[in-house]
Amino acid sequence: MERKKLIFCYLMVAPSLLFTVVLGILPMLASLGISFLEYDLLRVRDFGTPFVGVDNYITVLTDARFIQSVWNTLLITGLVVAIVIALGLLLAQVMDAEYRGRALIRVLICAPWFVPPVVAAAIWSWMLSTSRSPLNAALMDAGIIDSNIRFLSDTETIWGISIPLLSVTAVRIWNGLPFVVIFILAGLQSIPKSLYEAGSIDGASVWNQFRFITLPLLKPILGVLLLLLLITGIGHFEINYIMTGGGPQGQTNVMAVYAYQQAFNSFRFDYAAAASGVIFVITGIICFFYIRAQLKDGDDA
Amino acid sequence: MSDLQSDNFLRPRNGPLAAARLNNTVTRITVIVITALTLMYILMPVYWMLKSSFQSANDIRAMPPQWLPKELSLQAYRDLGELIPIGRYIYNSIFVSLVAAVLSTAIGSSAAYVLSRFKFPGMSIILVMILMTQIIPPITRAFPIYFTIQSANLLNTYLGLIVAYVGFSLPFSVLLLRGYFQNNCPPDLEEAAMVDGCSHFGAFLRVILPVSMPGLAAVTIFTFLNAWNDFLWASLLLNQGAMKTIQVGIGDFAGEGGGVQYINIFMAACVVATIPALIMFLFVQRWLVSGLTSGSVK
Repeated sequence: MERKKLIFCYLMVAPSLLFTVVLGILPMLASLGISFLEYDLLRVRDFGTPFVGVDNYITVLTDARFIQSVWNTLLITGLVVAIVIALGLLLAQVMDAEYRGRALIRVLICAPWFVPPVVAAAIWSWMLSTSRSPLNAALMDAGIIDSNIRFLSDTETIWGISIPLLSVTAVRIWNGLPFVVIFILAGLQSIPKSLYEAGSIDGASVWNQFRFITLPLLKPILGVLLLLLLITGIGHFEINYIMTGGGPQGQTNVMAVYAYQQAFNSFRFDYAAAASGVIFVITGIICFFYIRAQLKDGDDA
Repeated sequence: MSDLQSDNFLRPRNGPLAAARLNNTVTRITVIVITALTLMYILMPVYWMLKSSFQSANDIRAMPPQWLPKELSLQAYRDLGELIPIGRYIYNSIFVSLVAAVLSTAIGSSAAYVLSRFKFPGMSIILVMILMTQIIPPITRAFPIYFTIQSANLLNTYLGLIVAYVGFSLPFSVLLLRGYFQNNCPPDLEEAAMVDGCSHFGAFLRVILPVSMPGLAAVTIFTFLNAWNDFLWASLLLNQGAMKTIQVGIGDFAGEGGGVQYINIFMAACVVATIPALIMFLFVQRWLVSGLTSGSVK
């Protein structure tokens, strides 16, 4: 490529590259670096930040609270991803079908997208409170329960799954659904309609058309979606933090909240960095497949 | 329905077609029921917020709860300004989100353009770095970013939060616009302009950007929406008195107990915080589906 053109290319990407490096790559590397140092904010002035090898990882990985947060993260992410994709497949079809009032249904299904997370967490905390919850009142009225469900504070567990964890999972599903529906809808619209016409002439039921036409053709998109949801699910912070702060007794704590609390509540930046390192490794592996898929797409285009 | 009404509707009579029709009825009913239940689940909190914001605090607390409000009033909206400096918070949020969104689109579009058009040394590394920044959860770099902003003396300034937002949304803007340019701007567009004596940059500025307005607008609005909705970074980087964004303002009000004591006013504040996001969403929603296809799904 001629020189002038090259200079033009680099000038055009330079600002974006600067932001990506300063606020993306360098902080990631800094965090990885700190994870091998002792970095206790309260001791930094007297003792500095000596190199401690993998000690922070050992400390974090033997901390029962962290192990609990890892299980919670995987459990919540698994539940959210499975349910959100299943519901998303169904709702995307509903959005795609033609009927009167479709535009309104589309906006309504997307409601959680434009309700700010703080607002959503506030309202859900109210709906899921023990004594003020309208849900509890309605269930009591209907005679389904005879004492209030402690949605966010029950400490009993059933097969290792606690009610607060399920409650937070329900809010996470609520929050994540619109993106998935729209994503799948985008995929649906790339399937030629003629396939369905051929299918119905051959007498295939709606269900069989879904199974043998829609699902196979959506496979690549569902693959990308699955990777995306796993990554964002494992790193999710906001709703768990605002709704329960990880409680009660760490039952809804996830890795991201653990890392945040180590840094900004206990000032143990080294433990926070090690916990982030674990998130980084898990998401990094998934990310590898995601980036490979994205780059392969780019070359085809 | 005729299948359901006939005597032996369980037996497929006219071969596969009738069986398919029966199956279709069952499938349709199942789909409608699940959709209705899911819609209730999606809309219940939104309805509850809206309804409560028009009630008095006493009516809201009434047991059993009033699913349909007995009385409606605008009192909560009138009292809102006295308890929460809501106007100021909205101004802060709009200012920060708007500047971040415009900056991010401007910077991102120029990178997206060359990344969609040319192959140059280092290009794939740059793309991988952008993809990684987009995809690795931001929580893993929360406190290094906090330190970066702090050491630049930008804590508790509008600029600090704006810089952080540009950093977060940039990968998204670049990747989406790259897809947009690839799909919607054929290269002969600027080739024609360059034959007429335009430079590369001139062609980008005078040809590519104007024809890409819908894409640019959608990316800007999307970025605005993300910044408007953000709580985590705003609460870390800009949590001082008058400069708070509306999300932090609402979060702090709830944290100080105002969410229970002045529940109706709190709900009115929540509605007010949602409306700008709703308006922005209505602008982009038409574009969302096609945008996602060309940008990240492909």
